[in-house]
Amino acid sequence: MIEFAHVSKRYPNGQIALRNIDLQIGAGEMAFLTGHSGAGKSTMLKLISLMERPTAGQVIINGKNLNRIKPRKIPAIRRDIGMIFQDHRLLFDRSVFDNVALPLMIAGYDHREIGRRVRAALDKVGLLSKEKSTPIMLSGGEQQRVGIARAVVNKPPLLLADEPTGNLDPELSAEIMRLFEQFNQVGVSLLIASHDLSLLAKMHYRTLVMKDGQLIQDRSDTPQGLDLPPAQLLGADNES
Amino acid sequence: MNPDQLTGARLTQGASLKARFKMLIRLHKLEAKRGIQDIFDNPLSNFMTVLVIAIALALPTGLQIMLDNGKQLSQSWDGASRISLFLTLETSKKQTIDLSNKIRQNLAIKNVEVILPDQALKDFSQQSGFVDAIGELDQNPLPPTLVVQPVEAYSTPFESGKLLAIYAKLPQVEKAQLDLDWVRKLYALIQLAEKAAAALGLALGLAVLLIIGNTIRLSVQNRRDEIEIVKLIGATNAFIRRPFLYTGFWYGLFAGISCWLLVEISLFWLQQPIANLAGLYQSDFTLSGLSWSQSIQLISISCGLGLLGSWLSVGRHIRAIEPR
Ligand SMILES: Nc1ncnc2c1ncn2[C@@H]1O[C@H](COP(=O)(O)OP(=O)(O)OP(=O)(O)O)[C@@H](O)[C@H]1O
Ligand SMILES: [Mg+2]
Repeated sequence: MIEFAHVSKRYPNGQIALRNIDLQIGAGEMAFLTGHSGAGKSTMLKLISLMERPTAGQVIINGKNLNRIKPRKIPAIRRDIGMIFQDHRLLFDRSVFDNVALPLMIAGYDHREIGRRVRAALDKVGLLSKEKSTPIMLSGGEQQRVGIARAVVNKPPLLLADEPTGNLDPELSAEIMRLFEQFNQVGVSLLIASHDLSLLAKMHYRTLVMKDGQLIQDRSDTPQGLDLPPAQLLGADNES
Repeated sequence: MNPDQLTGARLTQGASLKARFKMLIRLHKLEAKRGIQDIFDNPLSNFMTVLVIAIALALPTGLQIMLDNGKQLSQSWDGASRISLFLTLETSKKQTIDLSNKIRQNLAIKNVEVILPDQALKDFSQQSGFVDAIGELDQNPLPPTLVVQPVEAYSTPFESGKLLAIYAKLPQVEKAQLDLDWVRKLYALIQLAEKAAAALGLALGLAVLLIIGNTIRLSVQNRRDEIEIVKLIGATNAFIRRPFLYTGFWYGLFAGISCWLLVEISLFWLQQPIANLAGLYQSDFTLSGLSWSQSIQLISISCGLGLLGSWLSVGRHIRAIEPR
């Protein structure tokens, strides 16, 4: 599903964000990406969603080498990826329903089909009663769940989440993780960037640890077995 | 909830062609609404934009109306196109009348007026007041004259010019002169003004494109965040472009209607003074405004400019926005 082959990324300002990353995540797999702030987690996700291009190496998604994707084809690739952001990225001048409907409208679905799917997705995240609200009227956790509903409404085979529980309380975070697990159970691949170690500790999934742009650990067992103590792993600056 | 609703990760989603088409129509309606919304969100400044465009369109439109009226006016005066034939001094009265009869037989000629030298002198001395001076002349210096009036079909500058050339060759004719050189001048003037109107229309049309392009550019920039988000979700540039194209179209439509109103109000306002002026010239000329087809033309052109202006601007500016 996701393959990184010798991928390096250097930003135009000279900052090297990724160094020679090799990685494979199979279809239907759920994996966490962790590491200190600035380790390169977001950069990994941005390469997958074509927001950035690698300076070297290849990223292959669904068997497609992203280096060979022309700008014109980028939207089609993105439609196969559900993206969840820490800052939600909702449209504040539209209702919750319209926000969630957006990917379906882009894909050209029939409006009855859109209604059905949007309500199913909102029901899944427990926000069916809020479909007419605008995002401003919602709490942070609710906004995050709208973002999740929007990401899954189109049934993409791959979900990417960048700090999806960034500023949520532990209970809400756990709830969102449960949602992710449910999606995973129906065959969706997930890659979740997070430095919420206490949360990861409760989950028993593959965990990729990054440090200074390198993949330093790839543990398929529980994160309790991480070689490094959390403090060192995440670095002292844990602010973002 | 049906547990199936969210199952099945699927690659390359999408709907049937028919569903897509239906959705496209729905989307167009939605986006047309959103395009209007965009204008009404900021009524004052957008109203100004509409007004500026309307004025820019009203100038060439007004000029065109003036030209149309000028043409009509010059045509209605063609009837007065006359050819004066000054005969040689030796031509006798009988020869003069014979010639006039001969000319009158030509189907192109409506009427021939004969002015004999005596009559001409009398008229002249009466009109000029040089009675005494003329009385001292021992010989009448005025030639016999025929004033030839062509029928309407032969009254254009071109046709009457041809007649003039024919008559100028007659042996008795000393000098042939087209009375209405000014008709020709008016025609030339109108032709010049038409060119000027076309140039003005072109320049102002370009200005309208720029105004709309710039307005749309600002509107794209205002929606930068939104555009980034929908790009992340996988919207194509064409999808993002549509509401902006509609905004451009609505600008064009509102501006076209405003322009039409401006022009009609100005014409109404000019109607009375022009009727007064025409009255002074014993004419019942009235200013004719935009016909229905011209009105529709005006508004279509305006809509077209709005669409074109936004189309030229929006693609470039949307492409420049990449999600971060
Ligand atoms: N657009 C950019 N231009 C230049 N440098 C960048 C850019 N984005 C990220 N970087 C740099 O690349 C490195 C990796 O950044 P990245 O955002 O991938 O880190 P991260 O692991 O997501 O960190 P965090 O946990 O704080 O979100 C950092 O040193 C960052 O300063
Ligand atoms: Mg990050």
